[in-house]
This record gives sequence, structure tokens and C-alpha cells, in this order.
Amino acid sequence: MKKIILSILILGILGALYVWFFIYNKPHTDYEKSKPDFELTTTALYNDYASGKGDIYNGKVLKLSGKLSKTDDADTLITLVFVFNEGMFGDEGIRCTLLPKYNSQIRNIPLPASITLKGFCAGYNGTDVVLEQCSLLK
Amino acid sequence: MNLKRILIVTAGILFLSLGVQAQRYITKSGKITFYSDGPLEKIEAVNNKVNAALDSQNGMFVFKVLMKSFVFEKALMQEHFNENYVESDKYPVATFKGKVSNINEVDCATPGTYKVDVSGQLSIHGQTHPVQTTGTFTVYEGGVKGNSQFTIKLADYDIEIPSIVAGKIAEEILITVNIDLKPLKK
Repeated sequence: MKKIILSILILGILGALYVWFFIYNKPHTDYEKSKPDFELTTTALYNDYASGKGDIYNGKVLKLSGKLSKTDDADTLITLVFVFNEGMFGDEGIRCTLLPKYNSQIRNIPLPASITLKGFCAGYNGTDVVLEQCSLLK
Repeated sequence: MNLKRILIVTAGILFLSLGVQAQRYITKSGKITFYSDGPLEKIEAVNNKVNAALDSQNGMFVFKVLMKSFVFEKALMQEHFNENYVESDKYPVATFKGKVSNINEVDCATPGTYKVDVSGQLSIHGQTHPVQTTGTFTVYEGGVKGNSQFTIKLADYDIEIPSIVAGKIAEEILITVNIDLKPLKK
């Protein structure tokens, strides 16, 4: 009887530890290591969103290639900007927040430059397609 | 200098000064945090990629917020927020369209802190409700910094709290807005 109670107790503790570490406190997805769901050019991505066909990319990991127009530097966060249009909020296009570990690499590239990156697509806010946690591939 | 030339120069100066006053200020890296303190769980998330635009002449004030850009401390909370609460696949963007009603009291050319009254329509999760709040604009050499806080009720935006945690998660959340608007260069 004692053995059964002890086994149940141990299983219960293991179960609780599993839930605590792997469900309740599971880590955020590392998009740098994720396999891309789509591979396309920045022009194709922007055109798809601008023509209302971009929702398939929402929440997906994208590998993007295109001509980087400029960067926005705010504190330690660098945003890569691919400009395609001009509107109420100024330049419109694709804005990709770079993982800080790539900051020095991008600062050394003369712009405009053709680059390839990977990141999580948060969607289109009506003016820009926004990608998060981007890593530079080349 | 003949009269015609004087008139043209005066009209030109007037036109230029009007152009300066009707400046549009924008940011694409505004910060919105929300906080709710329920008996079961404190929930806090931050989005620092908020679009905001202010027309300093007529007070028009617009925000666009991508729901998937809210970052939570816990990945599980972020997942629940997107999938079960705000359904960000179906409703990816929250917007605010409104006005600074006392914009005539804000002098964007004179550094200082101004109290502002803001009202408009807030759309989240496919539902639109009026919002009225106060805040401050701090005019400085490089632009205008804006701050405000207000609360919204989840029920107003048809955001359902699952019955298993009902009563344990706060039904009102506190929204804090911090933006650093810069003049739009044309």
C-alpha cells in the first residue's frame, strides 16, 4: 500500500513539474532556429498584403530577400525598412525588427543593399508589413 | 518694389507659415502596455511597434496596433492572448481614430508640457467603442512626446474570459500609451 501511495505521489510531483516547466513556463519560440514557412521576395510579400492576399503569412516564419532601403535605429533595436510606398505615416513597406546580435553586422553594410533575412510575420497594419525577431542570413 | 511683387511675397510667406503649422507628426515605434491585476494572475504585455499620427492643425489623432506584436513575459500567456482572447488571426489590428479636442492650446513650436483631452473610437476584436481620456504632450526640439493612461472593459470588446478562470482575471485592463512623435519629412 505504501508503495502505491509513494508511486502516485512521485507521479503527481513529476506531472506538476512538467506542467510548471514545459507548459506554464515554456520558453518563447526561437525564430532564429525555426524553419521558414514561406520563402519569397519583399516585393511579392508587400504586393500580396497590399492587394488583400497577405493574411496567409500572419503568424508565420518568413525567409525574405530584397533590397534594403534604410534602417531605423532606436536605442538597441534596429528596424530594417523596405520602402514601397508613401502615405499618411510616411514611408510604407516592410519593417523588420532585427535581433540585437546582428546590429553590428547590419551597420557595416552600405545601403541600399540586397539582403536575405528570416523572421516572424506579425501582419499588416494597413501601412506596413511587420516582421519581428529577424536574423540576417546574407 | 511694385505692389504686385509685394503681394506675391506676402502670399508666399503666408502659405509657407500655414504649411509649417499644418505639420503631421508620426511614429512607428510607439509603446503601448496593458496591465491587469486579477486574483489569479497579473497580466502585462508590451507592444513597441505602434503606429501613431497627429495632425497638429486639426488635432486628428490615429493609432494602428498589430495585436501579434504584444510581447508577454510568459509564452503561454501570449499564445492564449492571441488564440483565445483577441483572436489575432481573425482581428489582427486594433485602431484608434480620434481627436485632440484642445489642440489649439498646444503650441508645437514652443517647448513645454501641455495637458490634452483626447476622444475617439477604439476598435479591438471587431468591436468599436468610444474612448475619452486625458494625457500630456511634451513639446521638445525634436518632436512631441505623448503619454496617457485609461482603462477599458474586456466585455465591451466582446473578449470572453473562459468560465474556468472567470472571476480570477480582471475584467478591466489599464492601457498606458507612450509615444515619441517626430515631424513627418516630405
